[in-house]
Amino acid sequence: MKAYYAVFRLRRRMETQYRAAAVGGIVCQIFFGLVLIALYRALYEGRPQSMPFSSISTYVWLQQAFFRMLLASDAELMDKVRTGGIAYDLCRPVSLYGFYYARILAQKLMGSLLRAAPMLLFSALLPAGWGIAPPSSPAALLCSAGAWLIGLCCVSALENITMACTMRTLDPRGMQAMMNLLMMILAGNVLPLTLFPDSWQPVITALPYAQLLDAPIRLYTGEYALSRAGWIVLRQAGWTAVLTALGYVLWKRHQKRLVLQGG
Amino acid sequence: MSYIHVEGLCKSFGVRRKREKGALLRKKETVRALQNVSFDIERGGLVGCIGPNGAGKSTTVKVLSGILTPDEGTVTVGGRIPWKDRKQHVRRIGVVFGQRMQLWWDVPILDSYALLKDMYRLTDDAYQKRLAELTEALGLKDMLHTPLRQMSLGQRMRAELCGSLLHQPEILFLDEPTIGLDAVSKLALRDFLQWENREYRTTILLTTHDMEDIAALCSRVMVLGHGQKLYDGSLSELLSRYDTLRTITVHYDDVPGPIVFSDGPRVSRQGKTVQITCQTDQLDMNEMMPLLQRAGAVREMTIQPQNIDHLIAAMYREMDL
Repeated sequence: MKAYYAVFRLRRRMETQYRAAAVGGIVCQIFFGLVLIALYRALYEGRPQSMPFSSISTYVWLQQAFFRMLLASDAELMDKVRTGGIAYDLCRPVSLYGFYYARILAQKLMGSLLRAAPMLLFSALLPAGWGIAPPSSPAALLCSAGAWLIGLCCVSALENITMACTMRTLDPRGMQAMMNLLMMILAGNVLPLTLFPDSWQPVITALPYAQLLDAPIRLYTGEYALSRAGWIVLRQAGWTAVLTALGYVLWKRHQKRLVLQGG
Repeated sequence: MSYIHVEGLCKSFGVRRKREKGALLRKKETVRALQNVSFDIERGGLVGCIGPNGAGKSTTVKVLSGILTPDEGTVTVGGRIPWKDRKQHVRRIGVVFGQRMQLWWDVPILDSYALLKDMYRLTDDAYQKRLAELTEALGLKDMLHTPLRQMSLGQRMRAELCGSLLHQPEILFLDEPTIGLDAVSKLALRDFLQWENREYRTTILLTTHDMEDIAALCSRVMVLGHGQKLYDGSLSELLSRYDTLRTITVHYDDVPGPIVFSDGPRVSRQGKTVQITCQTDQLDMNEMMPLLQRAGAVREMTIQPQNIDHLIAAMYREMDL
């Protein structure tokens, strides 16, 4: 376990080294947040929706603040597979799945926390109707934080599946582009999942992508009542377990048939 | 049974090539990287492996280090099958891929080493002792807090080597470890490898294109070509087969008079210097010295064997590689 924690720690520290990139990301995400909220305000003026607008703006800000955890952004890791640098990692007495999982988790955790803190502060200072609303209750905040941690594990498991598949295709770009597109839409980053038609809700909230950020956000806004929190978290944990197991099996299988490129 | 035992090793790769005409379809070809390679290495052996590009050297190293699963053949390293119990196997081996990186690009190398320490579960004492030993030998003391990205190629190579040796492996696979090293670092590295081999009986398998590495380190050398083993034995014996030319360079005090040999040796002159090239069986200094001295006063003279790279090139040509 110590080895996995060590790689987690090192990757986490590395993330703090790119401060300029973090600032750039924050500015970009704030811009997106403002544009999206302006868009939804226009929508609401034309035809008010059933959801209160403060939930929408809160949803958008939370999505933007934790944006970094969604997309695969560890270029070094993908390059390893693409260029054969993974050879060294195969020479280590650790489980490759665990090793990469720890790396991905650290990058997502640190990357998103680093950006989320200033962004949440910024959005809290915005006038009502533009900014983020406080959580529906202290208990909801607590539940939401816990759910977020599970979502983090879930997205790391998802990304590790992409990694495992990359070992077969040897080029991550196609797979990643597809996964990113699915992720952006189904995780609620493009359009809050709460705005999808009611008839879609049972399906869309049951998919693994909804477990990443959508579930924690709905717990925060009170969309999911506290009484249902147990079930929500259980569903998240279930997906995480399934995806982790799937990734683990894929890693085991693809590792055996690995081809190393580049001499 | 010997420490490293390889028998009938075969490995092929599917390679897709573009067809001459038509951009859509690709031909699928099989490249046989290794065909029926067998060899044994004893504990504490220091063996060099040479061969032209694409000969199968790196593939051999990858199979031995448990990264690749071969198609056919048996391989045991210290009684274990590398690709079967990977985790157990890799704990005892150290690998250097000269053209890849294992250390983290953006963090000080000491942090990468600390990570390796945890991965190999080294005790603090063992780690500190070994780190001191290695940084001393590889001249890394002043660089431990420098991120890898700020190092020169040579420094990086030394840092990478240190990383591969931290857990004091029983077996060391070196795949072109001296790429990009300057003369001083190269010599230091060779000394270090020799010392490591003597002190800890570390078994070392070295693949390289640098013949001086081989000449300085390895008593035994294997030649691979087209995925087959073409030679396995001492370097001197290999060289003596191809080492057929000698070059005699003579510097005179003044421009020398005519020098004529009955037949065989070729003479080329340039000012006060004369160069004579001849086959080794034609070389007889008892006969040549008087002739050379008759032409003028000899100031300095050297007899050189062929450049080792030329020998190897001649050998590859003859083996049709």
